[in-house]
Amino acid sequence: MNGVSFSLSLIGQAEVSSQLGGVAIVVLVIYLVMLLTLGVVAWRRGRTTEEDYYLAGRSQGFIVTVMTIMATFFSSAAILGVPGNVYKEGVAFMLFALNLPCAGACIYLFGARIRRIGQKRGYVTQGDMIADYYGDSAGLRMLVAVVGFLYVLPYVIMQIKAGGHLAQGLFPGAAEAFEQGAMALSLVTIIYVLIGGMRSVAWTDVLQGFLLIAGMLIAAVATIVTLGGFGGFFEKVREIDPQGLALPGPSGVYSPWKMLTICVFASIGSLVQPAQWMRLYAAKSDRVLKRSALVFSIVLPACFLFGIMLVALAGRALYPPEMIDGVLTAHPHVGEFDQIVVVMVKEQLPQMLGLFGVVLVAILLVAVLAASMSTADSNLHALSAVVTRDVYDRFVRPSASENERAWVGRFTIIGATLLALWMVRAGHENADFAPLKMIVNLMFAAIGFSCQLLPVTLDMLFIRRGTRAGIMAGMIAGIAVVFLFTPFPDLLFGRDGATPVADSVAPLRSLFDIGFTGFVVNAAVFALVSAFTRRLDPERTKKLALDMDVSSPE
Amino acid sequence: MSQRSLSRLLFAIFLVALIMGPGPGIYLINPDPENAEARRFVLGVPIVYAWAVFWLGVQAACVAVAYRRLWRELPKLNSGKSDQ
Repeated sequence: MNGVSFSLSLIGQAEVSSQLGGVAIVVLVIYLVMLLTLGVVAWRRGRTTEEDYYLAGRSQGFIVTVMTIMATFFSSAAILGVPGNVYKEGVAFMLFALNLPCAGACIYLFGARIRRIGQKRGYVTQGDMIADYYGDSAGLRMLVAVVGFLYVLPYVIMQIKAGGHLAQGLFPGAAEAFEQGAMALSLVTIIYVLIGGMRSVAWTDVLQGFLLIAGMLIAAVATIVTLGGFGGFFEKVREIDPQGLALPGPSGVYSPWKMLTICVFASIGSLVQPAQWMRLYAAKSDRVLKRSALVFSIVLPACFLFGIMLVALAGRALYPPEMIDGVLTAHPHVGEFDQIVVVMVKEQLPQMLGLFGVVLVAILLVAVLAASMSTADSNLHALSAVVTRDVYDRFVRPSASENERAWVGRFTIIGATLLALWMVRAGHENADFAPLKMIVNLMFAAIGFSCQLLPVTLDMLFIRRGTRAGIMAGMIAGIAVVFLFTPFPDLLFGRDGATPVADSVAPLRSLFDIGFTGFVVNAAVFALVSAFTRRLDPERTKKLALDMDVSSPE
Repeated sequence: MSQRSLSRLLFAIFLVALIMGPGPGIYLINPDPENAEARRFVLGVPIVYAWAVFWLGVQAACVAVAYRRLWRELPKLNSGKSDQ
């Protein structure tokens, strides 16, 4: 590009940015007003019982159930983090989309049993079911609550971080756009979760789910059209370097074994996390879960493979990442890997469609916001249930009134958001702080923790051979293993202090998914300890199995 | 075909799709980045991408068949029927 055209391009971009800023504010205000209206309507429709606040009266139909499960699954990781990693690693990471049918099938295979027993016995959190199955104990409830917290915190951090990235993309010249965007996302999310509970979260998830499905597909259509149709698109893709067109990708990270373990364990781990578990309880019937499983298995992978991943692939061809001092770095025009979708839609659509393109960009960027908010709200809502029912109600003040518990839940939501906001700010101020740098790293860390609920889930639903001591020992071992693979050692011991830990787990980290590694240790310890500790009462296990409406083991 | 046989068959096909798609089966088509002659595209599309789309289709078909033929809907709780 010569100097004159480069200057014209910069002037054009400045005009687009200024137009986009105004249009984006209008679209954003309309979206936020709709969200808050839905929140208020849901609050007015609801009753004041705890079950209604946390599970919407167990009456959610097909559309609300499938959209809330998908929107909770589709976080900022889906619309920023995963494309960011496709941009970084090329086609190797596109295989990640094959995890979704696994999760989809489990919506029915796990969900139907969880829903039946949840409705029969009045469970609200997963801790309720686990404690009822293995016998209530402070340790077990606390352990399940800790796993929930370890999942929710990184997930909320990444949503807030995405709000900051989005504000940066929308208002590039604004001072402290990142901080203000992160705070705005946190504030609006807190407000509608606090007022409306599950019904509000689920209803807003419907709006957000439709927005982000449309956003993922429209972004791909726009990118393909801009590059001259499918022919032009794949012609451009031919320019990608050979490493970007094969496994294990340019960083050498994604070997087939790692992708396989990610596809199995990241997907199922995401489904047994606290917020999704509560959505399974809240479904009205088996039919609702069965239809949700089918739609999830087809629509979500399509949104990835035929949608947002293609945008990132074109981004890799247009703005190839660079190797600087042995470190793969995003193209200077893109800035950070996670920004690729924002950069692509912001630059391509207005050039192609003029003002309509600007409006479309604003809607697409709001879809990014929707993805972040729909996951943050679900996780904060679930965390408040876990803290209130599994911790406060059991161990702090068992005699607390429903009103008091509601306030504890609200303070939990506010406290967790502030903690996540502080961590996002700390990570943003220290540009070298790698653990919080890429959204997808946070996603795998969070899912790694929730995978530690998988052995207990499989045992309760299908195997029914475990003991309370076994499940507790397994979970502790699994959490400890996952902990070593996450950014937490860096946070606790500093980078130098954590180096020996990082070095020792590096070979396993390069071979397998974090959650899978923890799962293997967890399941082995669980089986071993269960073999040498007192079995559960068979009569009791049989009754529980009947409440899931399945045959008890012989 | 009995429900149990169909269930086993679908599970086996789904497992094969996982092993072949994102798993080690991809070595069958994965182009060597060092080899300039390696086949990186099929019908103009990156071969790894085409591979992913194919196996995704197999997975989705398994779920669709299970939805139509295997997954039951209990009319009410504790009807006493087996879920297997």
